[in-house]
Amino acid sequence: MPLPTAYSPNYYSLDDILATQERTPCKFLINVPKMGNLNPSTIEKDLPAGTALELPMWLVLEMSTGRQPIVLPELPKIYKEAYREILEADACAVDLHKFNLYFYELGSYAKRFDRKGDVHQTLLHTFRTRFRQLMDLADNSISDPSVQQRLDTLERRLFKDGYNARTKLNAWLVESGATIEAANMVINHKKRKRLNMEDLMK
Amino acid sequence: MNPDEVEFLGEKQFITIIPTFNSNTIHLITGDVGPFRASLPIRVPLWMAINLKQQQKCKIQQPDWMEIEALETIKENEKLSRTFTKMPSEHYMIEAKLLLGFASDDIPRADEIRTIIKDIWDIRMSKIRSSVDVLVKNAGSYAALDHLTIMEINTIRPILPHALDQIYRIKASPR
Repeated sequence: MPLPTAYSPNYYSLDDILATQERTPCKFLINVPKMGNLNPSTIEKDLPAGTALELPMWLVLEMSTGRQPIVLPELPKIYKEAYREILEADACAVDLHKFNLYFYELGSYAKRFDRKGDVHQTLLHTFRTRFRQLMDLADNSISDPSVQQRLDTLERRLFKDGYNARTKLNAWLVESGATIEAANMVINHKKRKRLNMEDLMK
Repeated sequence: MNPDEVEFLGEKQFITIIPTFNSNTIHLITGDVGPFRASLPIRVPLWMAINLKQQQKCKIQQPDWMEIEALETIKENEKLSRTFTKMPSEHYMIEAKLLLGFASDDIPRADEIRTIIKDIWDIRMSKIRSSVDVLVKNAGSYAALDHLTIMEINTIRPILPHALDQIYRIKASPR
């Protein structure tokens, strides 16, 4: 099975390019001559220090590193405290697709601007918490197709792979007429008890 | 891996048949099979057994574990155990599917066997799913998968390895 294409992004990775398009707020630390047209609210030729602008992530990444940083980056708003709290509370209920199409990809870049490492923890926590949901979804996607809309691109790719594998397995289980299936009674009455493994594993 | 590929692997399993024809030894790359003497039991690979059965040249002998009583015991053990129990055959699901599909007339109470095997499969599936969830949630980095058959491991592919890889990516990206 092919690995996801944005597995480890390279120069030509489309997902990476799209993810780093996102506007990132930042503040200029030094005067930049002749770049006034970056700021649409002024007609001056030069960009004075202290100007706050929103620039694409790829540009901010380059300008904020090095021996003499030109800009001081800030976190995009979806990684700020308020949004992080929402994700901490219940990551499963969140519509990640609305947060950002490339929530995890962008987050991996944005966390460089966060010295305390909270963004890093939030990303991991979000992914881990939502994984169960993702797995269940891949196994029975028919039950609620609207949930699919709430995945970010990375999750969607995992979902697709998982879903395809599951479809093949189901096809294998029913093919050749030798269906191995639960007794009709069990299906009709929904009597199969769910094993409560969470309790057992503790 | 495709389930059909797993099935292919499982078809190498040996199984006892009672041929209804005479034949000399057949030389195959994986080893010799035969000689066949009518009504003398002989061990052959599963794929050959199915093939002969389809030509009605043999009767398939039910594997020992594929008896209702044996399966009931396995099912009870599986229910009580918190880990996976050892299955009687490395490819029990494949053997069951092929034998019940193509040779159900050689196996008494085939329908009941079918149901029990499905029950065992379902119990193990739900165990896999909950333990995968525990693994990911508790940030485990390894897991022991004793006694899982290939077909079962295959059910959590590719979603689990890919998810773990993505977690690794998030962890490894520079801060």
